[in-house]
Amino acid sequence: MRCREVDELWDEVRGACTASVKEAVTAHLEACPPCQQLYEEYEGIAYSLESLPQPAPSCDLAKKVVEHIASIRRKDRATPIVLTSVQTPIGKLYVGFKESRIAYVGVDTGEPFEGVRSRIEVRLRRPVVSGEAPLWLRQTLDQFFTTWRVDDTVVDIEDLTPFEQAALRAAAMIPPGEVRSYSWVASQIGRPRAARAVGQVMARNPLALLFPCHRVVDSQGDLHNYGYGLEMKARLLKLEGYRG
Amino acid sequence: MPPAVQQPPQPPSARKAGEAVPSVDTFDHIVDDYQRRLYGFALRMTGNREDAEEIVQDAFVRAYRALGKMSLEQRSELRLQPWLYTITLNVTRNRLRSKRPANVALDALADPDALLRESNEGPPRPETIVEQNAEVALVEKALLQLPMHLRAAATLRFIEGRSHPEIAEILHQPIGTVKSHVHRAVRILRRILGPQIGRIAPEGAPLHALS
Repeated sequence: MRCREVDELWDEVRGACTASVKEAVTAHLEACPPCQQLYEEYEGIAYSLESLPQPAPSCDLAKKVVEHIASIRRKDRATPIVLTSVQTPIGKLYVGFKESRIAYVGVDTGEPFEGVRSRIEVRLRRPVVSGEAPLWLRQTLDQFFTTWRVDDTVVDIEDLTPFEQAALRAAAMIPPGEVRSYSWVASQIGRPRAARAVGQVMARNPLALLFPCHRVVDSQGDLHNYGYGLEMKARLLKLEGYRG
Repeated sequence: MPPAVQQPPQPPSARKAGEAVPSVDTFDHIVDDYQRRLYGFALRMTGNREDAEEIVQDAFVRAYRALGKMSLEQRSELRLQPWLYTITLNVTRNRLRSKRPANVALDALADPDALLRESNEGPPRPETIVEQNAEVALVEKALLQLPMHLRAAATLRFIEGRSHPEIAEILHQPIGTVKSHVHRAVRILRRILGPQIGRIAPEGAPLHALS
């Protein structure tokens, strides 16, 4: 074994290395005073680092952190979703927003407001209150019904599971007027066998239209299913320019 | 001679039997369990008590938020300790980067002597660490002169007592890189500190008489 190798093996020899390496290094050290000297100096460095004092944090650090977390927890839970009704080219929509992002979109099927409100509360685990549609929300929807696309920064899917988020983001990559299969979405997110689970995510999509689950169809190209009925799915696709 | 039997790699079981899956609901316990360790690490990385405390707070907040977004499956596979070290290191990096844009130590990698030349104006000063004796102060100062990636490797290895595979996990680096960083750190520290550091002299014996 050469000196250079022995040099580089120093830290390994102190910890987890094979017995044969250890023996070879020991043999070298016995015959090589300069390497022995070097090892002792390295040991000195390691020892001086190991024996540095370990000062404790101030005694209220943990308390401060726990209090800070508690305040975030309160704030997070308290931020409500404001639910409002908006007239659009495809009819009336229920739209929920949290701060300046849209967190819920559903077609108004005539279900009473209170029913919709409490359903969203359960689905997104957040208080839902009623309110007016602000200007930015109207503009965002106007733009959506012109381009059939929405900017990623105005939608909020944070309350969903990572799998749901991934599936919805993949669906959002399908260009307007085109369709892809459930298994296409599944393979996009690296879970090629999860087509069925993708179907469930699409069925529970809290941001209808904006996350275009209507562009996801079965492997035969059949529209398959839609929360607001197959007629609505076909109508949306036609409006976007789908010629299937 | 029979071939050396290597220890079979331990299955990277995320937690000990009976240990709870980390969640936002048990987060207070996580803070209690790890605040001291993470503080020690941040302190060695920055050399400043106030910075270290703020880093730890920030790291816990990030960890809390990240945990809240993970599924049960992800959380049960999570290895809490290395993950918390990684977050703390990232916060430290961002903080040090924004504090002093020019890291003198980076260029010094190939040339350990540059570190010696820089030593008088070295970046973060360990002034707030209680000086217990002259040697402790020297070692603390030398550690802070290392470029950040070498300082992280040396701190995790010798002060935090982590193994090479654990450090590789924390730093998201191959084990070979970790080993070479640890080694480089020790070599530079040896250049800065001189050959006598850490070697306890018997009463009355001149230092150079040691072997």
